[in-house]
Amino acid sequence: MPKILVCYKWVLNEQDIKIRPEDLSLDTGRAKGKISDFDRNAIEEATLIVEQQGGTVDALSYGTPAVKQSIKDVLSRGPNRLLWVGDPKAEDADALVIAKVLAAAIRKSGPYDLILCGEGSSDMFYQQIPARLAALLELPCLTFVSKMTLEGGTLMAQRKPGDCTEQVSVTGPAVVSVLSEINKPRIPSLKQVLGAAKKPSEEIALDSLGLAAGELTPKAVRKAPKGFLMNRKNVVFKESDAAVNVAKLVASLKAEGLH
Amino acid sequence: MPGIFVFSEDLALAGQLLTPGLALAQALAQPLVALATGQAEAETLAGLGADRALVLKAERSAPEALAPAIAELLAREGASVVLVGGTLRGKHLAAHVAAALNAGLTTDAKSLVIVDGQLATQRILYAGLAVCDEVVALPAVATIPQRTFLAPAAAARPGTVETLEVVADTRITVQSVTPVESEGVDISAAIKLVAVGRGFAKKEDLSLARDLAGGLKAELACTRGIAEDEHWLPIERYIGISGQTVKPELYLAVGLSGQVQHMVGCRESKVIVAINKDEQAPIFEAADYGIVGDLYQVLPLLTAALQN
Repeated sequence: MPKILVCYKWVLNEQDIKIRPEDLSLDTGRAKGKISDFDRNAIEEATLIVEQQGGTVDALSYGTPAVKQSIKDVLSRGPNRLLWVGDPKAEDADALVIAKVLAAAIRKSGPYDLILCGEGSSDMFYQQIPARLAALLELPCLTFVSKMTLEGGTLMAQRKPGDCTEQVSVTGPAVVSVLSEINKPRIPSLKQVLGAAKKPSEEIALDSLGLAAGELTPKAVRKAPKGFLMNRKNVVFKESDAAVNVAKLVASLKAEGLH
Repeated sequence: MPGIFVFSEDLALAGQLLTPGLALAQALAQPLVALATGQAEAETLAGLGADRALVLKAERSAPEALAPAIAELLAREGASVVLVGGTLRGKHLAAHVAAALNAGLTTDAKSLVIVDGQLATQRILYAGLAVCDEVVALPAVATIPQRTFLAPAAAARPGTVETLEVVADTRITVQSVTPVESEGVDISAAIKLVAVGRGFAKKEDLSLARDLAGGLKAELACTRGIAEDEHWLPIERYIGISGQTVKPELYLAVGLSGQVQHMVGCRESKVIVAINKDEQAPIFEAADYGIVGDLYQVLPLLTAALQN
């Protein structure tokens, strides 16, 4: 029965982030955390596999100490156990550092038959972790998977790498990144939410992973993000008579030379 | 020998990579080297300013399968900057190469310059809500999206072309490859677009948008949900962070709320028009003109008005 690991990232909900007009800095004060959107598909896929054929799913995350807030949410979505590394250093980590931390944690808690990731995180959208993890762990990597089945030790998958659809297979452990179309993540039932409280969750200290200080130093350093300013005319027609609105819009399109 | 290396399996994109490649080569006083999987492609790139073009001969030519061999080659040559075309396959290759070189990687760099001996790039965050500068120590890797740069003009003197035998990664068995059914429409080239979202209750109702697009001589585009969840329109018509990026003269968004993940793909349009029944929908903040109203009522009126 497969032993599966699914990686996820606890991110700020971008819909809650406001841009301060005076200096375009980001106001994240009211932003709530969430499991990164595509990672929910990875969690769901791992859960579906073990629901069908048995086995276990471990979830793994590296983030700031805020990652602790994700425990109930992630475990209610299916995984049997959570491993998390929460450290303030994660705030500045780049994909290189995140992949090294995840790989070190996997070496410690593994081996796994299958390592699942989302296509990219909804905050940084590096789209690097799956291939970096595979390179570090010397495993084959199947990115952009839209369908998959695991039979015995063989993984059959459909990939959508942009220009085509590929049917691929690999025997033995592999790292897989899934596309959002692979499934529809469940909304956990009350029973699943209550059950999550009984599942084990284990914090792994960053300094227990045997990584040197240099390995935790990002090579890609992000400078203060600035909000993207939408500079638009914002002329809205909202009369009760739709025909009036349409006439005004047509006049505007003509004035813009678009009709 | 140290150098700036570029690779994309898409020849047009590989040509575009040469433009920032040439600027970086000049800034670092290093040669510009293009990697390709075919002789003709290598010759094209050598003609566009690459000092050297290497033809990689291997059992497989997919970028993912070449990733370990390319990483080994780049380590041996001492690459200082690696620019990879930002297709999905290219992103996979770039991440593998960056891990193997123990290097930082900027995803979807919009600009690249050398500042104080490091690669300073610009990219988006939070699905396009924000932009940030990212400074990457050398050796640095960056992926660059399609059409970020124009390809350079032909070089006065073409570079050299060499062939190199490399070993592809064959751990994954490729059983079959089916090309994506394409209508052959290049949405990114359209001058006007009518984009549809979940405000449409069923597939048949898209005829309202088609009629409007017909009157405007516009192409039809859509949100991720319409293409990937509903399958009402082909994937190539979907605009957004992991779909197409477009810059038409007119972007007329109907029945879509304007989530940041969608807007990042169209916000450089010259004029954005929104039709939505929810006055609070974020699309109105991102639009030049908007109508608050039921699309089922507004669209037929608009189509008729544009015909007069």
